[in-house]
Amino acid sequence: MPSDLNNRQIEQLARCEPISEEQVKILCLKAREILVEEGNVQVIDSPVTICGDIHGQFFDLMELFRVGGSCPQTNYLFMGDFVDRGFYSVETLLLLLALKVRYPERITLIRGNHESRQITQVYGFYDECQRKYGSSNVWRWCCEVFDYLALGAIVDGRVFCVHGGLSPNLSSIDQIRAIDRKQEVPHDGPMCDLLWSDPDDIQGWGLSPRGAGFLFGADPAQKFAHHNSIDLIARAHQLAMEGYKLMFDRTIVTVWSAPNYCYRCGNVASILELDEHLAQEYKVFQAAPSDVRSIPTKRPPADYFL
Amino acid sequence: MLPQSNARDADSAIRQTDTDAAGARLSSVQKGYLPDSFVKAFVPRAHLQARPPLINVGTYVRSEGIDELVGGWLDLAEQEGKKAQIVSMGAGSDTRFWRIETGPRKGRLAAYIEVDFAEVTTKKAMAIKKSKDLCGILGQSEDIKLESGGIALHSPIYHLIPADLRLPPAATLGPALAASDSSLLSPNLPTLLLWECVLVYMSPEASFSLIQWFVEYFSHGTGPLGGIVYEMFGLSDSFGRVMHENLKARGVSLPGAVPYPDVASLPNRFLQHGFTMAHALTLRDIRRTYISSSEAERISTLEMLDEIEELELVLGHYAITWGVRLVESSNSLKAPWTEWGLKQKRNPGNSLREDE
Repeated sequence: MPSDLNNRQIEQLARCEPISEEQVKILCLKAREILVEEGNVQVIDSPVTICGDIHGQFFDLMELFRVGGSCPQTNYLFMGDFVDRGFYSVETLLLLLALKVRYPERITLIRGNHESRQITQVYGFYDECQRKYGSSNVWRWCCEVFDYLALGAIVDGRVFCVHGGLSPNLSSIDQIRAIDRKQEVPHDGPMCDLLWSDPDDIQGWGLSPRGAGFLFGADPAQKFAHHNSIDLIARAHQLAMEGYKLMFDRTIVTVWSAPNYCYRCGNVASILELDEHLAQEYKVFQAAPSDVRSIPTKRPPADYFL
Repeated sequence: MLPQSNARDADSAIRQTDTDAAGARLSSVQKGYLPDSFVKAFVPRAHLQARPPLINVGTYVRSEGIDELVGGWLDLAEQEGKKAQIVSMGAGSDTRFWRIETGPRKGRLAAYIEVDFAEVTTKKAMAIKKSKDLCGILGQSEDIKLESGGIALHSPIYHLIPADLRLPPAATLGPALAASDSSLLSPNLPTLLLWECVLVYMSPEASFSLIQWFVEYFSHGTGPLGGIVYEMFGLSDSFGRVMHENLKARGVSLPGAVPYPDVASLPNRFLQHGFTMAHALTLRDIRRTYISSSEAERISTLEMLDEIEELELVLGHYAITWGVRLVESSNSLKAPWTEWGLKQKRNPGNSLREDE
């Protein structure tokens, strides 16, 4: 793609204006060309800023870039769940893809459990594409991109990053590298577990109340870290009211980057900055101020029991 | 005239909460969480009601919890050898009467009285009259009477009465319940008061007067008086601040939540009126421990729930509070009224399936 077109797309999307359907098609094709070359576990270098769930909260993503620095001045790793729930999944995802196409070495995107055909049809992205483009083409092209997203990343060989967590069927990172990832997220199995599992204060492994993936305790986490010479497992996937949550003697951290999640939860968000020595700094931030955060006129009210 | 029209707008926002609740109920019925063949008669544009899984799950937990308490009350009344009375305030589009009268506890009610704003009772009375299913359960058509120009409806057991619950009960509810020749409500029968998302929209003073009016009414008789309140509480944290803000944008305020900062404060709702016992449980706890394993398993297969933390955060801000008041002269009661409550069905645990 010509870089001036790409630059114009970035400018337009950064104003939260969707690009044309034809341009989405070109952008998605280009993004796939780049992503197909990436490994299941993408190898990246420090320094890098690690981000958790965004969920279509576009103006809060702008706040994130204000706090963390703009791309490409700052290197970013986004750990999935770009879409669903928020009002602006289309603009959020397309901006991240446009940045990926423009600065492929500066921004890494890995897959979350919401980057899936099935989940986006329940939680909003499908409906948003229909509403904003009048057909499901954009949704379909985006889902094709989802199938190419990496399943994880590793920073300097020491920090393993994944959307959800571990799998009882995966003891080494090399086993993750052997998965055939280019498909819809399966209902079970190792690939599903990486995107759905959660750490929990249990012994060993437990069934997940989400209906997919597993719960895993400190011992499997520490065993995995030791076996793969990992200092830290960084993951997203779970709302953390304080923006991040360290567990298991700092073996694992949850990074959550959607402040006031669903415009309802009242939580703060965070990003994790790893410097060139992999020292961790958590930057906590609030939702974008309401005068900045434009609200769609036909905004559906946040759901409560009334 | 301006203040008056503002006041009317504020009430309309509160009445709108019933439309919202009925829609949520229909959604969870359509998704297979709850059986309720009656609710669609009260919801216009019934096909537009799909709600997110979190709302469906919460609606299910709320409904199961309150159903179990109401069922328990009717069973205690039966042990007592009495029929029961239920007064459902701010009842809106609720279908409970029809569900009881077509379920295993059919025929156990002496009276079922619903109270709401006149705008709501008018709509409901019309919907009832339009539906053969609903009317058939009320009685013979000559026994079903619209009154006061269609804002009230009376039948042998079921009564629909307009009243503004915020006004002094002696001036509004009192005369309405004492309608026509004989009183609708006997102080000698076990009587259950229901408020589902009602008192939270009223001032604490108005709620106090309302409950106190019933306490005094029943102090002249022998009937055990029970109450169930379901609503949000604990809104002084960041979740609560966002809720206040979001609801304010819809014109809804929650003055009734102020005296209840945490779950421990909730039983005071009834204890301050001299109730014999009162308990409260959050929807979060009810989902974890008071829903049977088999039901929890069934529910978990209906829809993929993407976010447990969010679900627990939201459900942790809603509670069911219940209490019973026995008058001193009721030593002769046969049934164990003070044991009335929800029964634990699972051990408390971190996750739904872990402790099965």
